[in-house]
Amino acid sequence: MSDSEKGGKSEKSNQSQKRDRRPANNAVSAAFSELVTQWERNFDALANQFMGTETYSQAMNDMQKAQLGMQRNFADFMSRQLETMSMPTREDVVQLTELVRQLDRRMERIEEKLALNDRPARKTKRPARTRTPQSVSAAVSIDDPGAKEQNPVAQKAEGPTRGTDK
Amino acid sequence: MSDNNQQSGGLEAQLAEAQAGVRSFVEQAVARGQKGLALANASPQPVGLTSKEVLYARGTLRLYHYAAQTDDVYRVPVLLVMATTNRAFIFDLAPGRSMIEYMVQQGFDMYVIDWEAPTMAERGLTLKDYTQDFIPTCIEKVQEDSGEEDISIVGYCMGGVLSLIYAATHIEGPLKNLVCLTTPVDFHQTGLPQVWNDPRYFDVDYLVDTVGILSAESVTQMFEMQRPAQRLAGQLRLWDQILDDDYVDNYRAFNRWGEETLPLAGEYVRETTKELNWGNKLYTGELMVDGHNANLASVTVPLLSVVAEHDHLAPRDSTKPLLDLVGSEDKAEILLKGGHVSLIAGPNAAKRMWPRLNEWLSVRSV
Repeated sequence: MSDSEKGGKSEKSNQSQKRDRRPANNAVSAAFSELVTQWERNFDALANQFMGTETYSQAMNDMQKAQLGMQRNFADFMSRQLETMSMPTREDVVQLTELVRQLDRRMERIEEKLALNDRPARKTKRPARTRTPQSVSAAVSIDDPGAKEQNPVAQKAEGPTRGTDK
Repeated sequence: MSDNNQQSGGLEAQLAEAQAGVRSFVEQAVARGQKGLALANASPQPVGLTSKEVLYARGTLRLYHYAAQTDDVYRVPVLLVMATTNRAFIFDLAPGRSMIEYMVQQGFDMYVIDWEAPTMAERGLTLKDYTQDFIPTCIEKVQEDSGEEDISIVGYCMGGVLSLIYAATHIEGPLKNLVCLTTPVDFHQTGLPQVWNDPRYFDVDYLVDTVGILSAESVTQMFEMQRPAQRLAGQLRLWDQILDDDYVDNYRAFNRWGEETLPLAGEYVRETTKELNWGNKLYTGELMVDGHNANLASVTVPLLSVVAEHDHLAPRDSTKPLLDLVGSEDKAEILLKGGHVSLIAGPNAAKRMWPRLNEWLSVRSV
Protein backbone atom coordinates (compact mmCIF):
# COMPACT_ATOMS: atom_id res chain seq x y z
CA MET A 1 0.00 0.00 0.00
CA SER A 2 1.40 3.36 -1.00
CA ASP A 3 1.86 6.25 1.42
CA SER A 4 -0.88 8.21 -0.25
CA GLU A 5 -3.31 5.34 0.11
CA LYS A 6 -2.48 4.97 3.79
CA GLY A 7 -2.84 8.70 4.26
CA GLY A 8 -6.06 8.72 2.28
CA LYS A 9 -7.68 6.09 4.50
CA SER A 10 -6.64 7.63 7.80
CA GLU A 11 -8.13 10.92 6.68
CA LYS A 12 -11.44 9.53 5.53
CA SER A 13 -13.16 9.96 8.91
CA ASN A 14 -11.88 13.54 9.13
CA GLN A 15 -13.14 14.21 5.63
CA SER A 16 -16.63 12.93 6.34
CA GLN A 17 -16.77 15.23 9.37
CA LYS A 18 -15.63 18.13 7.24
CA ARG A 19 -18.10 17.30 4.48
CA ASP A 20 -20.92 17.75 7.02
CA ARG A 21 -20.17 21.44 7.16
CA ARG A 22 -19.26 21.77 3.51
CA PRO A 23 -22.13 23.98 2.22
CA ALA A 24 -20.24 27.21 2.89
CA ASN A 25 -16.99 25.61 1.72
CA ASN A 26 -18.69 24.24 -1.39
CA ALA A 27 -19.75 27.74 -2.40
CA VAL A 28 -16.19 28.98 -1.91
CA SER A 29 -14.83 25.97 -3.77
CA ALA A 30 -17.23 26.46 -6.68
CA ALA A 31 -16.31 30.14 -6.90
CA PHE A 32 -12.61 29.26 -6.80
CA SER A 33 -13.04 26.61 -9.47
CA GLU A 34 -14.92 29.06 -11.69
CA LEU A 35 -12.20 31.65 -11.15
CA VAL A 36 -9.47 29.16 -12.13
CA THR A 37 -11.43 28.08 -15.22
CA GLN A 38 -11.91 31.68 -16.33
CA TRP A 39 -8.27 32.51 -15.75
CA GLU A 40 -7.16 29.40 -17.66
CA ARG A 41 -9.44 30.18 -20.58
CA ASN A 42 -8.36 33.82 -20.80
CA PHE A 43 -4.66 33.06 -20.39
CA ASP A 44 -4.72 30.29 -23.01
CA ALA A 45 -6.65 32.47 -25.45
CA LEU A 46 -4.19 35.31 -25.03
CA ALA A 47 -1.13 33.04 -25.24
CA ASN A 48 -2.50 31.22 -28.29
CA GLN A 49 -3.11 34.54 -30.00
CA PHE A 50 0.51 35.49 -29.45
CA MET A 51 1.96 32.04 -30.22
CA GLY A 52 -0.11 31.68 -33.36
CA THR A 53 1.75 34.47 -35.15
CA GLU A 54 4.35 34.03 -37.85
CA THR A 55 6.81 36.11 -35.83
CA TYR A 56 6.54 33.74 -32.87
CA SER A 57 6.96 30.69 -35.10
CA GLN A 58 10.08 32.18 -36.69
CA ALA A 59 11.60 33.16 -33.34
CA MET A 60 10.82 29.77 -31.77
CA ASN A 61 12.34 27.86 -34.68
CA ASP A 62 15.42 30.13 -34.82
CA MET A 63 16.00 29.54 -31.13
CA GLN A 64 15.57 25.79 -31.53
CA LYS A 65 18.02 25.76 -34.42
CA ALA A 66 20.60 27.64 -32.36
CA GLN A 67 20.23 25.11 -29.52
CA LEU A 68 20.54 22.22 -31.97
CA GLY A 69 23.63 23.82 -33.45
CA MET A 70 25.29 23.93 -30.03
CA GLN A 71 24.22 20.35 -29.34
CA ARG A 72 25.68 19.24 -32.68
CA ASN A 73 29.00 21.02 -32.07
CA PHE A 74 29.29 19.48 -28.62
CA ALA A 75 28.50 16.00 -29.99
CA ASP A 76 31.16 16.43 -32.71
CA PHE A 77 33.70 17.58 -30.12
CA MET A 78 32.93 14.63 -27.82
CA SER A 79 33.07 12.21 -30.72
CA ARG A 80 36.54 13.47 -31.71
CA GLN A 81 37.77 13.23 -28.12
CA LEU A 82 36.48 9.67 -27.73
CA GLU A 83 38.09 8.69 -31.02
CA THR A 84 41.40 10.11 -29.82
CA MET A 85 41.12 8.00 -26.66
CA SER A 86 40.13 4.90 -28.68
CA MET A 87 36.77 4.82 -26.94
CA PRO A 88 33.47 3.89 -28.64
CA THR A 89 31.27 6.83 -29.54
CA ARG A 90 27.49 6.93 -29.03
CA GLU A 91 27.12 6.16 -32.72
CA ASP A 92 29.21 2.99 -32.29
CA VAL A 93 27.09 1.86 -29.35
CA VAL A 94 23.91 2.46 -31.34
CA GLN A 95 25.25 0.42 -34.26
CA LEU A 96 26.18 -2.38 -31.88
CA THR A 97 22.69 -2.27 -30.33
CA GLU A 98 21.13 -2.51 -33.78
CA LEU A 99 23.25 -5.58 -34.55
CA VAL A 100 22.16 -7.23 -31.31
CA ARG A 101 18.54 -6.40 -32.11
CA GLN A 102 18.83 -7.95 -35.55
CA LEU A 103 20.22 -11.12 -33.99
CA ASP A 104 17.44 -11.01 -31.42
CA ARG A 105 14.80 -10.78 -34.16
CA ARG A 106 16.40 -13.65 -36.05
CA MET A 107 16.38 -15.76 -32.85
CA GLU A 108 12.76 -14.81 -32.27
CA ARG A 109 11.76 -15.99 -35.74
CA ILE A 110 13.58 -19.30 -35.22
CA GLU A 111 11.94 -19.75 -31.83
CA GLU A 112 8.52 -19.04 -33.34
CA LYS A 113 9.06 -21.68 -36.02
CA LEU A 114 10.15 -24.19 -33.42
CA ALA A 115 7.19 -23.32 -31.22
CA LEU A 116 4.82 -23.94 -34.14
CA ASN A 117 6.01 -27.54 -34.28
CA ASP A 118 5.65 -28.09 -30.57
CA ARG A 119 2.72 -25.95 -29.49
CA PRO A 120 1.16 -26.95 -26.15
CA ALA A 121 -2.58 -26.98 -25.76
CA ARG A 122 -4.14 -23.80 -24.36
CA LYS A 123 -4.18 -23.81 -20.59
CA THR A 124 -7.32 -21.78 -20.15
CA LYS A 125 -10.57 -22.39 -21.91
CA ARG A 126 -11.58 -19.45 -24.08
CA PRO A 127 -15.20 -18.27 -24.08
CA ALA A 128 -17.38 -19.15 -27.07
CA ARG A 129 -17.48 -16.49 -29.79
CA THR A 130 -21.25 -16.62 -29.99
CA ARG A 131 -22.27 -13.37 -28.37
CA THR A 132 -24.82 -11.20 -30.17
CA PRO A 133 -26.34 -7.84 -29.17
CA GLN A 134 -29.75 -9.61 -29.14
CA SER A 135 -28.54 -12.23 -26.66
CA VAL A 136 -27.20 -9.49 -24.40
CA SER A 137 -30.44 -7.48 -24.39
CA ALA A 138 -32.50 -10.66 -23.90
CA ALA A 139 -30.38 -11.69 -20.92
CA VAL A 140 -30.70 -8.21 -19.45
CA SER A 141 -34.46 -8.08 -19.86
CA ILE A 142 -34.93 -11.48 -18.18
CA ASP A 143 -32.52 -10.96 -15.28
CA ASP A 144 -33.08 -7.32 -14.50
CA PRO A 145 -35.43 -5.15 -16.52
CA GLY A 146 -33.75 -1.96 -15.35
CA ALA A 147 -30.20 -3.08 -15.96
CA LYS A 148 -30.15 -2.23 -19.67
CA GLU A 149 -30.16 1.45 -18.90
CA GLN A 150 -27.39 1.12 -16.40
CA ASN A 151 -23.71 1.47 -17.00
CA PRO A 152 -21.99 0.37 -13.77
CA VAL A 153 -18.60 1.54 -14.99
CA ALA A 154 -20.03 4.93 -15.87
CA GLN A 155 -21.68 5.21 -12.49
CA LYS A 156 -18.48 4.32 -10.69
CA ALA A 157 -16.35 6.74 -12.66
CA GLU A 158 -16.25 10.02 -10.86
CA GLY A 159 -13.65 12.71 -10.60
CA PRO A 160 -12.10 15.51 -12.58
CA THR A 161 -12.60 16.03 -16.27
CA ARG A 162 -11.58 19.63 -16.73
CA GLY A 163 -7.90 20.12 -16.94
CA THR A 164 -7.21 16.52 -17.91
CA ASP A 165 -6.78 17.15 -21.62
CA LYS A 166 -3.26 17.54 -22.87
CA MET B 1 -30.18 46.21 31.09
CA SER B 2 -31.91 43.63 28.87
CA ASP B 3 -30.62 45.48 25.78
CA ASN B 4 -27.07 45.15 27.12
CA ASN B 5 -27.58 41.39 27.68
CA GLN B 6 -28.92 40.95 24.17
CA GLN B 7 -25.97 42.89 22.73
CA SER B 8 -23.41 40.85 24.67
CA GLY B 9 -25.22 37.59 23.67
CA GLY B 10 -25.09 38.65 19.99
CA LEU B 11 -21.40 39.47 20.26
CA GLU B 12 -20.68 36.09 21.86
CA ALA B 13 -22.51 34.29 19.07
CA GLN B 14 -20.57 36.24 16.44
CA LEU B 15 -17.33 35.49 18.25
CA ALA B 16 -18.16 31.78 18.45
CA GLU B 17 -19.00 31.75 14.73
CA ALA B 18 -15.74 33.48 13.87
CA GLN B 19 -13.82 31.02 16.08
CA ALA B 20 -15.51 28.07 14.36
CA GLY B 21 -14.67 29.57 10.98
CA VAL B 22 -11.02 30.05 11.90
CA ARG B 23 -10.87 26.53 13.38
CA SER B 24 -12.37 25.05 10.22
CA PHE B 25 -9.93 27.01 8.04
CA VAL B 26 -6.94 25.87 10.11
CA GLU B 27 -8.16 22.25 10.17
CA GLN B 28 -8.57 22.26 6.41
CA ALA B 29 -5.19 23.86 5.88
CA VAL B 30 -3.54 21.21 8.09
CA ALA B 31 -5.42 18.39 6.33
CA ARG B 32 -4.46 19.79 2.91
CA GLY B 33 -0.86 20.09 4.02
CA GLN B 34 -0.80 16.49 5.29
CA LYS B 35 -2.40 15.19 2.12
CA GLY B 36 -0.09 17.26 -0.08
CA LEU B 37 2.93 15.89 1.76
CA ALA B 38 1.65 12.32 1.42
CA LEU B 39 1.09 12.89 -2.31
CA ALA B 40 4.56 14.33 -2.81
CA ASN B 41 6.09 11.15 -1.36
CA ALA B 42 3.61 8.73 -2.90
CA SER B 43 4.62 6.06 -5.36
CA PRO B 44 3.16 6.40 -8.88
CA GLN B 45 -0.58 5.83 -9.18
CA PRO B 46 -1.19 2.20 -10.23
CA VAL B 47 -2.65 2.06 -13.74
CA GLY B 48 -3.47 -0.57 -16.37
CA LEU B 49 -4.85 -3.10 -13.88
CA THR B 50 -7.26 -5.01 -16.11
CA SER B 51 -6.00 -8.58 -16.45
CA LYS B 52 -3.89 -9.01 -19.58
CA GLU B 53 -0.95 -10.87 -21.09
CA VAL B 54 1.75 -9.82 -23.54
CA LEU B 55 1.02 -11.67 -26.75
CA TYR B 56 3.90 -10.25 -28.75
CA ALA B 57 6.75 -7.81 -28.17
CA ARG B 58 9.36 -6.44 -30.50
CA GLY B 59 11.37 -3.29 -29.90
CA THR B 60 8.95 -0.41 -29.37
CA LEU B 61 5.93 -2.63 -30.04
CA ARG B 62 3.81 -4.42 -27.42
CA LEU B 63 0.69 -6.41 -28.21
CA TYR B 64 -1.54 -7.21 -25.24
CA HIS B 65 -4.51 -9.52 -24.97
CA TYR B 66 -7.08 -8.88 -22.24
CA ALA B 67 -8.70 -11.79 -20.41
CA ALA B 68 -12.41 -12.27 -21.10
CA GLN B 69 -14.83 -11.44 -18.28
CA THR B 70 -17.98 -12.84 -19.90
CA ASP B 71 -19.14 -16.38 -20.69
CA ASP B 72 -19.25 -15.64 -24.39
CA VAL B 73 -17.65 -12.98 -26.56
CA TYR B 74 -18.44 -11.34 -29.87
CA ARG B 75 -17.00 -13.26 -32.81
CA VAL B 76 -14.84 -10.43 -34.15
CA PRO B 77 -11.87 -9.47 -31.96
CA VAL B 78 -11.03 -5.80 -31.47
CA LEU B 79 -7.51 -4.42 -31.87
CA LEU B 80 -6.92 -1.01 -30.31
CA VAL B 81 -4.05 0.94 -31.87
CA MET B 82 -2.60 3.53 -29.51
CA ALA B 83 -1.14 6.86 -30.60
CA THR B 84 2.64 6.75 -30.97
CA THR B 85 3.10 9.66 -28.55
CA ASN B 86 1.49 8.13 -25.47
CA ARG B 87 0.97 4.97 -23.44
CA ALA B 88 -2.21 2.96 -23.86
CA PHE B 89 -3.04 2.90 -20.15
CA ILE B 90 -5.18 5.98 -20.72
CA PHE B 91 -7.75 3.37 -21.84
CA ASP B 92 -7.24 1.44 -18.59
CA LEU B 93 -6.70 4.03 -15.85
CA ALA B 94 -8.26 2.13 -12.95
CA PRO B 95 -10.93 -0.50 -12.29
CA GLY B 96 -14.26 1.19 -12.90
CA ARG B 97 -12.59 3.93 -14.93
CA SER B 98 -11.31 1.86 -17.80
CA MET B 99 -12.61 1.76 -21.36
CA ILE B 100 -10.89 -1.56 -21.93
CA GLU B 101 -12.49 -3.05 -18.81
CA TYR B 102 -15.85 -1.73 -19.99
CA MET B 103 -15.44 -3.25 -23.47
CA VAL B 104 -14.29 -6.58 -22.01
CA GLN B 105 -17.32 -6.59 -19.71
CA GLN B 106 -19.54 -5.90 -22.72
CA GLY B 107 -18.19 -9.09 -24.30
CA PHE B 108 -15.49 -7.87 -26.69
CA ASP B 109 -12.28 -9.85 -27.14
CA MET B 110 -9.80 -7.00 -26.71
CA TYR B 111 -6.24 -6.71 -28.01
CA VAL B 112 -4.16 -3.55 -27.66
CA ILE B 113 -1.09 -2.28 -29.49
CA ASP B 114 0.94 -0.20 -27.05
CA TRP B 115 4.30 1.47 -27.58
CA GLU B 116 7.46 1.63 -25.52
CA ALA B 117 9.94 4.46 -25.99
CA PRO B 118 11.87 3.80 -29.21
CA THR B 119 15.60 3.42 -28.70
CA MET B 120 18.31 5.15 -30.73
CA ALA B 121 18.58 1.93 -32.73
CA GLU B 122 14.93 2.45 -33.71
CA ARG B 123 15.33 6.06 -34.82
CA GLY B 124 14.89 4.93 -38.43
CA LEU B 125 11.29 3.75 -37.93
CA THR B 126 8.92 5.19 -40.52
CA LEU B 127 5.25 5.01 -41.47
CA LYS B 128 6.18 1.90 -43.45
CA ASP B 129 7.28 0.10 -40.26
CA TYR B 130 4.15 1.05 -38.35
CA THR B 131 1.58 0.41 -41.09
CA GLN B 132 3.16 -2.32 -43.22
CA ASP B 133 4.93 -4.28 -40.50
CA PHE B 134 3.79 -3.63 -36.91
CA ILE B 135 0.02 -3.49 -37.50
CA PRO B 136 -0.09 -6.39 -40.02
CA THR B 137 2.11 -8.53 -37.74
CA CYS B 138 -0.15 -7.81 -34.76
CA ILE B 139 -3.20 -8.66 -36.87
CA GLU B 140 -1.63 -12.01 -37.73
CA LYS B 141 -0.97 -12.62 -34.04
CA VAL B 142 -4.57 -11.74 -33.15
CA GLN B 143 -5.90 -14.02 -35.88
CA GLU B 144 -3.69 -16.82 -34.65
CA ASP B 145 -4.67 -16.28 -31.01
CA SER B 146 -8.39 -15.80 -31.56
CA GLY B 147 -8.83 -18.24 -34.42
CA GLU B 148 -10.83 -15.58 -36.26
CA GLU B 149 -10.05 -14.18 -39.70
CA ASP B 150 -11.99 -10.91 -39.31
CA ILE B 151 -10.82 -8.12 -37.05
CA SER B 152 -12.03 -4.69 -35.96
CA ILE B 153 -9.55 -1.88 -35.37
CA VAL B 154 -10.04 1.07 -33.04
CA GLY B 155 -7.36 3.73 -33.53
CA TYR B 156 -6.80 6.71 -31.28
CA CYS B 157 -5.35 10.00 -32.60
CA MET B 158 -2.16 9.12 -34.57
CA GLY B 159 -3.07 5.48 -33.93
CA GLY B 160 -6.18 6.27 -35.98
CA VAL B 161 -4.03 7.78 -38.73
CA LEU B 162 -1.83 4.65 -38.80
CA SER B 163 -4.95 2.47 -38.86
CA LEU B 164 -6.37 4.47 -41.77
CA ILE B 165 -3.11 4.11 -43.72
CA TYR B 166 -3.10 0.39 -42.96
CA ALA B 167 -6.73 0.07 -44.10
CA ALA B 168 -6.10 2.05 -47.30
CA THR B 169 -3.11 -0.10 -48.23
CA HIS B 170 -4.66 -3.48 -47.29
CA ILE B 171 -7.96 -3.35 -49.11
CA GLU B 172 -8.18 -7.13 -49.38
CA GLY B 173 -8.72 -7.43 -45.64
CA PRO B 174 -8.98 -8.89 -43.07
CA LEU B 175 -10.30 -5.65 -41.59
CA LYS B 176 -14.01 -5.82 -40.81
CA ASN B 177 -14.68 -2.53 -39.00
CA LEU B 178 -12.66 0.59 -38.37
CA VAL B 179 -13.22 3.08 -35.56
CA CYS B 180 -11.23 6.31 -35.56
CA LEU B 181 -11.15 8.20 -32.27
CA THR B 182 -10.16 11.88 -32.58
CA THR B 183 -8.28 11.16 -35.80
CA PRO B 184 -7.10 14.14 -37.87
CA VAL B 185 -6.97 13.77 -41.65
CA ASP B 186 -6.66 17.38 -42.83
CA PHE B 187 -3.30 18.34 -41.35
CA HIS B 188 -3.56 21.88 -42.68
CA GLN B 189 -6.30 22.46 -40.09
CA THR B 190 -4.42 21.44 -36.95
CA GLY B 191 -4.14 24.97 -35.55
CA LEU B 192 -1.01 26.06 -33.72
CA PRO B 193 1.27 23.15 -34.77
CA GLN B 194 0.56 24.12 -38.37
CA VAL B 195 1.96 27.60 -37.65
CA TRP B 196 4.93 26.26 -35.69
CA ASN B 197 5.79 23.69 -38.37
CA ASP B 198 5.86 26.30 -41.11
CA PRO B 199 8.38 24.89 -43.65
CA ARG B 200 9.91 28.35 -44.06
CA TYR B 201 11.09 28.32 -40.44
CA PHE B 202 11.01 24.72 -39.20
CA ASP B 203 14.03 22.74 -40.42
CA VAL B 204 12.90 19.19 -39.69
CA ASP B 205 15.95 17.67 -41.42
CA TYR B 206 18.33 19.60 -39.17
CA LEU B 207 16.32 18.56 -36.09
CA VAL B 208 16.17 14.86 -36.95
CA ASP B 209 19.76 14.67 -38.19
CA THR B 210 20.90 16.22 -34.90
CA VAL B 211 18.80 14.40 -32.30
CA GLY B 212 17.92 11.09 -33.95
CA ILE B 213 15.03 10.65 -31.52
CA LEU B 214 12.64 13.46 -30.63
CA SER B 215 12.73 13.47 -26.83
CA ALA B 216 9.66 12.94 -24.67
CA GLU B 217 10.23 16.43 -23.21
CA SER B 218 9.97 17.98 -26.69
CA VAL B 219 6.76 16.07 -27.41
CA THR B 220 5.27 17.07 -24.04
CA GLN B 221 6.31 20.67 -24.61
CA MET B 222 4.56 20.72 -27.96
CA PHE B 223 1.35 19.50 -26.33
CA GLU B 224 1.58 21.82 -23.34
CA MET B 225 2.39 24.91 -25.38
CA GLN B 226 -1.05 24.67 -26.90
CA ARG B 227 -2.64 25.04 -23.45
CA PRO B 228 0.05 26.86 -21.46
CA ALA B 229 -2.16 27.52 -18.42
CA GLN B 230 -3.44 23.98 -18.13
CA ARG B 231 -0.75 22.57 -15.84
CA LEU B 232 -0.99 25.36 -13.27
CA ALA B 233 -4.78 25.40 -13.44
CA GLY B 234 -4.77 21.63 -12.85
CA GLN B 235 -2.57 22.04 -9.79
CA LEU B 236 -4.82 24.77 -8.40
CA ARG B 237 -7.86 22.53 -8.86
CA LEU B 238 -5.99 19.71 -7.17
CA TRP B 239 -5.25 21.95 -4.19
CA ASP B 240 -8.92 22.87 -3.99
CA GLN B 241 -10.10 19.24 -4.24
CA ILE B 242 -7.21 17.59 -2.43
CA LEU B 243 -9.43 16.12 0.30
CA ASP B 244 -11.55 14.31 -2.29
CA ASP B 245 -9.84 10.92 -2.73
CA ASP B 246 -11.62 10.09 -6.00
CA TYR B 247 -10.55 13.39 -7.51
CA VAL B 248 -6.97 12.94 -6.37
CA ASP B 249 -6.73 9.36 -7.68
CA ASN B 250 -8.09 10.44 -11.06
CA TYR B 251 -5.76 13.45 -11.18
CA ARG B 252 -2.73 11.31 -10.37
CA ALA B 253 -3.62 8.73 -13.02
CA PHE B 254 -4.07 11.39 -15.71
CA ASN B 255 -0.95 13.17 -14.52
CA ARG B 256 1.08 9.98 -14.72
CA TRP B 257 -0.15 9.46 -18.27
CA GLY B 258 0.90 12.99 -19.22
CA GLU B 259 4.31 12.54 -17.63
CA GLU B 260 4.91 9.26 -19.44
CA THR B 261 4.69 10.79 -22.89
CA LEU B 262 6.85 8.87 -25.34
CA PRO B 263 9.76 10.06 -27.48
CA LEU B 264 9.38 9.66 -31.23
CA ALA B 265 11.61 8.02 -33.81
CA GLY B 266 13.31 10.76 -35.83
CA GLU B 267 12.53 9.37 -39.29
CA TYR B 268 8.89 9.01 -38.32
CA VAL B 269 8.88 12.68 -37.30
CA ARG B 270 10.57 13.66 -40.56
CA GLU B 271 8.13 11.68 -42.67
CA THR B 272 4.95 12.76 -40.87
CA THR B 273 6.10 16.39 -40.95
CA LYS B 274 6.86 16.35 -44.67
CA GLU B 275 4.13 14.04 -45.93
CA LEU B 276 1.27 14.84 -43.56
CA ASN B 277 1.87 18.30 -42.04
CA TRP B 278 3.40 19.96 -45.07
CA GLY B 279 2.16 17.88 -48.00
CA ASN B 280 -1.22 17.05 -46.41
CA LYS B 281 -1.07 13.90 -48.52
CA LEU B 282 -3.47 11.80 -46.44
CA TYR B 283 -6.10 14.42 -47.20
CA THR B 284 -5.21 14.79 -50.89
CA GLY B 285 -4.93 11.03 -51.45
CA GLU B 286 -1.31 11.25 -52.64
CA LEU B 287 0.35 9.57 -49.66
CA MET B 288 2.65 6.74 -50.71
CA VAL B 289 3.85 4.23 -48.11
CA ASP B 290 6.24 1.49 -49.20
CA GLY B 291 5.09 1.87 -52.79
CA HIS B 292 1.39 1.65 -51.88
CA ASN B 293 -0.98 4.56 -52.36
CA ALA B 294 -2.76 5.26 -49.06
CA ASN B 295 -5.82 6.79 -50.66
CA LEU B 296 -8.64 6.95 -48.13
CA ALA B 297 -11.17 6.37 -50.92
CA SER B 298 -9.89 2.76 -50.91
CA VAL B 299 -11.22 2.27 -47.36
CA THR B 300 -14.57 0.56 -47.80
CA VAL B 301 -15.12 -1.21 -44.47
CA PRO B 302 -17.76 0.10 -42.04
CA LEU B 303 -16.24 3.15 -40.38
CA LEU B 304 -17.07 5.14 -37.28
CA SER B 305 -15.39 8.44 -36.52
CA VAL B 306 -15.73 9.70 -32.95
CA VAL B 307 -14.67 13.30 -32.46
CA ALA B 308 -14.70 15.83 -29.64
CA GLU B 309 -16.24 19.25 -29.80
CA HIS B 310 -13.43 20.99 -27.90
CA ASP B 311 -10.44 19.00 -29.13
CA HIS B 312 -7.45 21.33 -29.48
CA LEU B 313 -5.00 18.62 -30.62
CA ALA B 314 -7.21 17.22 -33.37
CA PRO B 315 -9.46 20.23 -34.00
CA ARG B 316 -12.90 19.73 -35.53
CA ASP B 317 -11.79 21.05 -38.92
CA SER B 318 -8.99 18.50 -39.11
CA THR B 319 -11.27 15.51 -38.34
CA LYS B 320 -14.38 16.62 -40.21
CA PRO B 321 -13.40 15.53 -43.78
CA LEU B 322 -12.82 11.87 -42.85
CA LEU B 323 -16.31 10.65 -43.72
CA ASP B 324 -16.22 12.37 -47.10
CA LEU B 325 -12.82 10.94 -47.94
CA VAL B 326 -13.42 7.25 -47.23
CA GLY B 327 -15.16 4.98 -49.71
CA SER B 328 -17.22 3.18 -47.06
CA GLU B 329 -20.98 3.02 -47.51
CA ASP B 330 -21.61 2.18 -43.86
CA LYS B 331 -20.07 5.19 -42.12
CA ALA B 332 -21.00 7.45 -39.25
CA GLU B 333 -19.60 10.26 -37.16
CA ILE B 334 -20.34 10.88 -33.52
CA LEU B 335 -19.56 14.36 -32.26
CA LEU B 336 -19.41 14.50 -28.47
CA LYS B 337 -18.75 17.14 -25.88
CA GLY B 338 -15.27 17.08 -24.41
CA GLY B 339 -11.64 17.36 -25.42
CA HIS B 340 -8.95 15.15 -26.90
CA VAL B 341 -8.52 13.07 -23.74
CA SER B 342 -11.83 13.50 -21.91
CA LEU B 343 -13.49 11.97 -24.98
CA ILE B 344 -11.91 8.60 -24.24
CA ALA B 345 -11.18 8.60 -20.49
CA GLY B 346 -12.83 9.97 -17.38
CA PRO B 347 -16.43 10.13 -16.18
CA ASN B 348 -17.82 11.89 -19.24
CA ALA B 349 -16.27 9.32 -21.58
CA ALA B 350 -17.85 6.55 -19.53
CA LYS B 351 -21.25 8.20 -19.84
CA ARG B 352 -21.03 9.48 -23.40
CA MET B 353 -18.52 7.68 -25.57
CA TRP B 354 -18.09 4.10 -24.35
CA PRO B 355 -21.80 3.13 -24.65
CA ARG B 356 -21.94 4.61 -28.18
CA LEU B 357 -18.84 2.67 -29.21
CA ASN B 358 -20.32 -0.53 -27.76
CA GLU B 359 -23.61 0.12 -29.52
CA TRP B 360 -21.97 0.68 -32.95
CA LEU B 361 -19.39 -2.09 -32.72
CA SER B 362 -21.53 -4.85 -31.15
CA VAL B 363 -23.95 -5.16 -34.08
CA ARG B 364 -20.98 -5.32 -36.46
CA SER B 365 -19.01 -7.88 -34.48
CA VAL B 366 -21.15 -10.99 -34.91
